[in-house]
Amino acid sequence: MAKITGKIVAITGNAAVAQGMRQINPDVVAAYPITPQTDIAEEFATFVADGLVDTEYIAVESEHSAMSACLGAAAAGARVMTATSSQGLALMWEILYIASGMRFPIVMTNVNRCLSAPINIHCDHSDSMGARDSGWIQIYSESAQEAYDNIIQAVRIGEDEKVRLPVMVNMDGFIVSHSIERVELLEDESVKNFVGEYKPSFSLLDVEHPVTFGPFDGLGGFYFEHKLAQIEAMERSREVILRIGREFGALSGREYGFFEKYRLDDAEVAVIVLNSAAGTSKHTVDMMRREGHPVGVLKLRIFRPFPTRELCEALRHLRAVAVLDRATSPGTTGPLFGEVKAALYDLGKRPLVVNFIYGLGGREFKPEHIRCAFEALLEISKKGKVEKPLDYLGLKEVEVIS
Amino acid sequence: MSIKELSLREERFTSGHRLCAGCGATIVVRQVLMATEKPVVVCCPTGCLEVSTTIYPSTAWGVPYIHNAFENAAATLSGAESAYRVLMRRGKIDKKDIRFAVFGGDGGTYDIGLQALSGVLERGHRLVYVCYDNQAYMNCLSTSCLIMTENGLKRITEVKEGDKIHAFDQKTHQLVLRRCTGVFDNGIREVYEVETLHHSIKATANHPFLVLKRNGRGRRNTFVWKTLAEIKVGDEVVVLKNLHGGKPFKFNFRKTEKGDYKVNRVNEINIPEYSSPDLMKYLGIYVGDGWVRTEKKETGFALPKNSKARKTLVNLHSKIFGSKIRSDDAYVYVDSVNLARFIGCLGFGQGAKNKKIPGWVFTLPKEEKENFVRGLMLSDGYKIGGSFRYVSASGELLRTLRLLLQTTGFRVGKIHWQKKKKGIENKYFDTEKIKNIRLAGCEPTLDLRVEDEHNFIADGIVVHNTGIQRSSATPLGAWTTTSPVGKVIPGKTQNRKDLTACVAAHNIPYVAQASPSHWRDLVTKAEKAFNAQGPAFLNILAPCPRGWRYPTNQTIRMARLAVETCFWPLYEVENGNWRLTHKPREKKPLVEWLKPQGRFKHLFKPENQHVIEEFQTKVDEDWNSLLKRCQIE
Ligand code: SF4
Repeated sequence: MAKITGKIVAITGNAAVAQGMRQINPDVVAAYPITPQTDIAEEFATFVADGLVDTEYIAVESEHSAMSACLGAAAAGARVMTATSSQGLALMWEILYIASGMRFPIVMTNVNRCLSAPINIHCDHSDSMGARDSGWIQIYSESAQEAYDNIIQAVRIGEDEKVRLPVMVNMDGFIVSHSIERVELLEDESVKNFVGEYKPSFSLLDVEHPVTFGPFDGLGGFYFEHKLAQIEAMERSREVILRIGREFGALSGREYGFFEKYRLDDAEVAVIVLNSAAGTSKHTVDMMRREGHPVGVLKLRIFRPFPTRELCEALRHLRAVAVLDRATSPGTTGPLFGEVKAALYDLGKRPLVVNFIYGLGGREFKPEHIRCAFEALLEISKKGKVEKPLDYLGLKEVEVIS
Repeated sequence: MSIKELSLREERFTSGHRLCAGCGATIVVRQVLMATEKPVVVCCPTGCLEVSTTIYPSTAWGVPYIHNAFENAAATLSGAESAYRVLMRRGKIDKKDIRFAVFGGDGGTYDIGLQALSGVLERGHRLVYVCYDNQAYMNCLSTSCLIMTENGLKRITEVKEGDKIHAFDQKTHQLVLRRCTGVFDNGIREVYEVETLHHSIKATANHPFLVLKRNGRGRRNTFVWKTLAEIKVGDEVVVLKNLHGGKPFKFNFRKTEKGDYKVNRVNEINIPEYSSPDLMKYLGIYVGDGWVRTEKKETGFALPKNSKARKTLVNLHSKIFGSKIRSDDAYVYVDSVNLARFIGCLGFGQGAKNKKIPGWVFTLPKEEKENFVRGLMLSDGYKIGGSFRYVSASGELLRTLRLLLQTTGFRVGKIHWQKKKKGIENKYFDTEKIKNIRLAGCEPTLDLRVEDEHNFIADGIVVHNTGIQRSSATPLGAWTTTSPVGKVIPGKTQNRKDLTACVAAHNIPYVAQASPSHWRDLVTKAEKAFNAQGPAFLNILAPCPRGWRYPTNQTIRMARLAVETCFWPLYEVENGNWRLTHKPREKKPLVEWLKPQGRFKHLFKPENQHVIEEFQTKVDEDWNSLLKRCQIE
C-alpha cells in the first residue's frame, strides 16, 4: 500500500497541535488563552488571520464561555475544537458534563498542568484526572508527534455515529508543549480526506425541522436512561478507537491502540505510565536491560474508556507492576493505580501492584527515579510481597541519587 | 403594522407549557417572536421559562431551541451564531437568513450571566438578548434556624426531604406532622432578625410569617400570611408553645466489656436502655455542673459537700447506675469508662461553653423534659421571687433550653419561669407580638417545602415554606423595606442595577426597554433588534402575577401602569442616540401602580406614607435624568 509520507519538521508540541488543527480546519474554534496552552490559541488565531484556515474563531472572555460557545456551535452542526489547561479546564467543568450529556463530538486539547494551590504553571495530570468522570473520551500523548496524531484521530472517533462523544487529547505542559521535537506532518490533503465531512444528526440551524436541545428532565424523567445511553456509547467507542488507530496506521505508518508495550512481553516487572514519562521510562528500561534486569513499560494511551480486558492480557505474565501517577487523590491512592489494580483483581494469578506518585507541579522526573521504582519492583518480585504499597518519587526530602 | 397583521403570523411559542396563568414572560416571548418572519433560533438560560416549557419529552417551542446552563446562554448562542456564519460561508448549509435570540430572566441576565453577556456584546455577535424582567426572587430562612421535627429539634441544614416536620393546621389550629418535600439552598442573602417577647428568628425580607388578624369583637379572628417586609412591630405572629406527648428515648449504646480490645478490667455499672424521669434529672445536673473525661474514664460534678444537688445526684446515681461514687469537698467523681462514654455520646457537649440540649430530648414525654429542667435548675439556677433565673456560658445551651421550655408550656424570657396567664388559641399554639426587627447581616439561607400545610416551625415561630409567594424582595421591594419597621433597617436603599444603561455602555447598535402593554412599541423595537447589524438588547418588563400578587387577568394593566407612572419608561438607544419612544400624556402618580399589587400592600398604612413619597421621588429623579439623556427639555 502506498504510504503517504509528509513533511518532517522541528516544532513544539503546541505548534504540532496547532498544525493539526490547521489541517483539520474545523468550522468553529472557541478558546481562551492559558499557560501552557497559550501558543495553540495564538498560533491558530494567526492561521485565521493569515487566511490559512477559514474557521470561525471566537475569542471568548473565559474558558466557561469557550466550552459554552463550543457547545452552541456543535448544536448548530459545526465541527468544533478548543484547547485549554489546568484552571481553564476546571472552569469548564460544569459544561464538560453538559457537552458529553448532549453528545456533542467536541475535540479539545488539554495541555496538562497542575491545579492551584499553590499556584504553579507546570505539568501534572490533576486537571484531566479530575475530569475523568465527565463522560469525555481521554487520550494521552507521549510526544508532540503523538499529540498531533491523536487530535486528528480524535475528530473521527468522537464524530463516529456509534460514538458521538467529546474527546480530550492530553499532552504534558512544557515538557511536550514547549519542547521542540521532530514531528512528521501529514500532507494537508490527506488529513482533510482522513477526517472527512462531519454530518451531524440534528442541527439548530435546520429551521424547517426545529429541535429542542437540552430540555428539562426532572424527577420522573429520563435522566437515568440518557446516562445509560452515554455509557453504552462509551463502550462502543472501544472498537471505533482501535479501527481508527489502524486506519491512521495505514495512512501514516504509525498505528495506535489502547496502549503501547515496550519490552513488556519478556519482562518480569514493569511500570505503567501516561504521557511523556514513557520516554524516560523506556530509556531506563534499555539501560537496565543491558544490566540484565527483566524490566518493561506499558504506556497507556486511552484512559477513557479504560481498556480493562486488554490491560489484563498484557500484564498477566508479570510478577510485579508499578503504576506511576502524576496526580493524587488525597485520602486514597493515585487515580490510575486504583483503576489498574481493580482491573487486575479478576485475574486468578495476578502480578503484585504498587503505586508511585511522581512529578507533581512539574517536579522533574529523571531516569534515577524510574530506576528506583524498578529496583523496588525487583525486590517485590524476589520477596513475593509488597511492603510499601504507595510511595513518592522525586520528593525533595528523599531526593534519590544513584 | 396592525394587530390583525400580527395575528396572522405564525405562532412560534405554543400552548401547553406550564408557566402560570397570566405570566408576563409568555406574552413577552410571543410578541418578540412575532416581530420577525425570519427563522429564529432560541436559547434560554436555566429559569422559569426554560423549566416550564421543555419538560422532556415535550416542548412548547416551535423554533429550534437550546438550553445549556444558567450563566452561559449568551456564550452558547454566540457559538451557534458563529457556526451559522461559517457553515454558510463554506456552503455546508443552504443560504437562509436566520436570527438568534436569548430569552433570559433577570437572574440569568443581571447577575450570574452578566459576564457571558458582556463578552458577547463586546465580540459583536449578531444576536438579540431579551431579558424578561419579572423582578422575582425566592424567600428563605437563615441556616442557623432550628426546626421542630418528629425526631426532635434539628438545624435547618440537617433536615432532609422526607423528614416529618411539625406544622400548624390552618383549619383546626392544631399541631400536625407533615412530610418535608424539599430543601432549597438559596445562597448568601441579607437576613433580618425578628424578635417577639420570647422568640427570635432570622429570615430574609420576603419570608412569610403567620400573623393573627383580629376581626373585632364577636367575630372570629383569622390568620394571614405576611412577608417579613410587610410585618411591623406590634403584629402578632403564631408561635409554638407545646409539643405532643412524646415517648421515652431508646439509647443505642454498647458497653465496653472486659475482653474487648485492650480492655482487662472495667468497673461494673448499669447503663439504662431507655430514658426515664430520674435519668433526665441526673442529666440535667450533668448539663449544669458536670463534665466527662473519656480518656481518664472519669465523670465529674462540681457539687459542694452538703449541697442539695449533691444529695440528689448521689441518690439518683445509685438508683440508676448502681455503681460507686468518689467525692471530696468540692467534687463528686464516678470512675467508669462506660458512664463517661455513655454521657459523652448523648450529645450534650463537653465543657461549659459548648453545652447544648440535643434534639432527642425534645421528643421525650413532658415529665421527663420537666425533670431535666429541674435537674438543671437544681445545679445552676437560682430563684428570684416567683421565677427562676438560669445563666450559662453556652449560648447554644440557652437557645436550645429556651425552646425546650417553650415547648414544655413554660414562658421564658431570660429563662424565667412563670405560670401562663391568658392562653388564647389552644394547648399547642399561642401568638406573640413582634418587638423588634433589625438587619442581621448576610448569611447563608435555606428553605423547606412541606406537604399539605406548607408551613413549619422554625425557632418556635410558624413560617411559610417556599413556592407559593414569589418574593417581594425585588430590587424595589428591598428598597421599600425602609418602612417604619425599617426604622431599624436603616439605609436599605439599594437601587436596581440599571442593566439597560450597563448594556448601552457596550456601545452596541441597539438597546431598548419595552413593555408588553405597548405592543406596537415592543414589536417595533424587537424588529429593529432583529435587524441590527450586531448585538441587540431588549429589557422587557414581564409582570409576574404570583410574585407581584395581583389577579392573573391584570398582567397587561400592571405593565401599562408601570409605563404610565414612569417606573418603567420606554426608550431606545440606537447607535448611541437615546430616544424616548413613549411619553405618557399625563404622568400618573406611582401609587396607581403600587396599589393593585399585593407585594406593596404594607406601604399603604398611614405610617408608611413617607416610603411611598421617597419611592416617588426616586422614580421622578430617574425619569428626569432619562429626559435629559434623551434631550427633552
Ligand atoms: S412565577 Fe411569575 S414569572 Fe414564573 S411562571 Fe409564574 S408568573 Fe411567570
